[in-house]
Amino acid sequence: MLYALMGLGLALVTGVLNIPNFAHGALFAVGAYLLVSLVGVMGNFWIGLVVAPLGVALLGLVIEYAGIRRLYAAGHDYQLLFTFGLALIIPEVIILVWGPVGISHLPPPALRGGVDLGFTFYPKYRLFVMVMAGLLILLTWLFLERTKYGAIMRAGIENKEMVSLLGIDIHRLFTVAFALGAYLAGIAGALIAPIRGLSPQMGADMLGVAFVVVALGGLGNLLGAIAAGLIIGVAQAIVAGHWTEASQAVIFAVMAAVLLVRPQGLFGIR
Amino acid sequence: MRTFLLILVAICVLPIVVRPVIATEIWIFAIFGLGLNLLLGYTGLLSFGQSTFFGSAAYVAGWLLKHYGINVFFALGIGVGVGALSALLVGYLCVQRSGLYFIMLTFALNQLFYFIAYQWTSVTGGEDGMQGVPRPTLLALDFKDPMVYYVFVSALFVLSLWVMKRIVESPLGRILQAIRENEVRAAAVGYHAPRFKLLAFVVGGAFSGLAGVLYAMLFGIVPLEAIGFVFSGNVVFATLIGGSGSLYGPIIGSFVFIWLSESMSVVWARWPLLLGVAFVIVVLFFRGGVVEAWHRLAEKFEQWRSSRPAT
Repeated sequence: MLYALMGLGLALVTGVLNIPNFAHGALFAVGAYLLVSLVGVMGNFWIGLVVAPLGVALLGLVIEYAGIRRLYAAGHDYQLLFTFGLALIIPEVIILVWGPVGISHLPPPALRGGVDLGFTFYPKYRLFVMVMAGLLILLTWLFLERTKYGAIMRAGIENKEMVSLLGIDIHRLFTVAFALGAYLAGIAGALIAPIRGLSPQMGADMLGVAFVVVALGGLGNLLGAIAAGLIIGVAQAIVAGHWTEASQAVIFAVMAAVLLVRPQGLFGIR
Repeated sequence: MRTFLLILVAICVLPIVVRPVIATEIWIFAIFGLGLNLLLGYTGLLSFGQSTFFGSAAYVAGWLLKHYGINVFFALGIGVGVGALSALLVGYLCVQRSGLYFIMLTFALNQLFYFIAYQWTSVTGGEDGMQGVPRPTLLALDFKDPMVYYVFVSALFVLSLWVMKRIVESPLGRILQAIRENEVRAAAVGYHAPRFKLLAFVVGGAFSGLAGVLYAMLFGIVPLEAIGFVFSGNVVFATLIGGSGSLYGPIIGSFVFIWLSESMSVVWARWPLLLGVAFVIVVLFFRGGVVEAWHRLAEKFEQWRSSRPAT
């Protein structure tokens, strides 16, 4: 579910802005660290969960406004390098602020322990994350499919020139899409913090996954990204149960296998 | 011809100016950049997974050097072969797609190799890297002397440059440039674009493999980073700031990049942060000219250093 969330955010940014955002994983990490800090200061998980992703979205806003926007004329290679530079900077800043050692973080008291589902015993927090992620995906989907601005955004993925010819501020659209993508990355990071713990390099691992999800789902296909995220998550869970060492590599192996058969991705049309 | 002389002069002067190890690293990185530039500059493919071939070759050759004590030339040959072979595998999946997709696929497959290297600790040493890669003696040449090794690497670099020059000026090079300019048209006049892209990929991979083995022998270790995506990004960065359009761009880029990262790693342990900042600054403000960027940055660095009290 979280992979789907990450993939959806990246697919939005990639689709609308036409750049592979290498900073997506770093934004994810920032979300997790912000949550832990906020919980430490406020002592309340829920406030952290609301505020941390907003902070990441704000960071995304700044990145787009101060950096990527200035590089539209320079071409994709430079925008890509810019996000890559950020992907180097952000983990180092995290190390400076929070230290190089990984942090573990407990879920809020209300969500500790597990629930008996009859056939299996499942941690409450993981259930909560699944519900939250599902809800967020649904909300994002509704925003994209049912609101006017969502329709504009989808149109922006299809044909940027046409959208700007119709008198829509394409640059603002880019900013919004980037901030929304950052928000989704941030909340995925915040949600995962109590499950996996935190480390400065957590973003780099997640970045690869997010790229795979987008590539699998088919570029510019948001529903495809969601489906691909679920598939990858399930595949990894199955393999992790039998052969733990391969649980990271399997993600990429699945992608390679699918692309051998369907080079355009599972649901790609382009 | 003048450029060639300039390079020869640079080869002679460089070890006087910087430590031989760094000088050697610059030429190795330049070979790596040459391989990428065939893709990026001449074929128009931005590959973000070059360290896949660099790292794989370094691991395989390093392992053979370590456990079987193979000959240096044999190791280099193995490296070129492994680089080309891994590039064939990765390239086969990637060349069917173009643009953004291509970039993301090269990156994702790079991660696949990274995680294999990360987990396969019995061979690769995992996070500690593969340590104790020897630099065997060849005939009467003792490569343990850094200067001898430097001369050997620069000779290989000149050879690589010559080969690459021949490639880009050959009909194959022209076809690749035609694909870069207009793939549809290149296909229309009868060239099977994916096949030529794959060929460019394999050749680029071979160069990366050569660089990888030289790198492993230089430092006596194959660090896990050598197959990581940051390494791939670094070579893209170096090539772009050097100027991807020209054959010599990666060489300039390699100078700038290694010099930047070396001077930064001395300054501060968190030097990747500075490197990232350098990325962003270069991309935002110095896109135009490398030479200009080089001068301005060097000036600023000198100012900063002279303003610091001598320790």
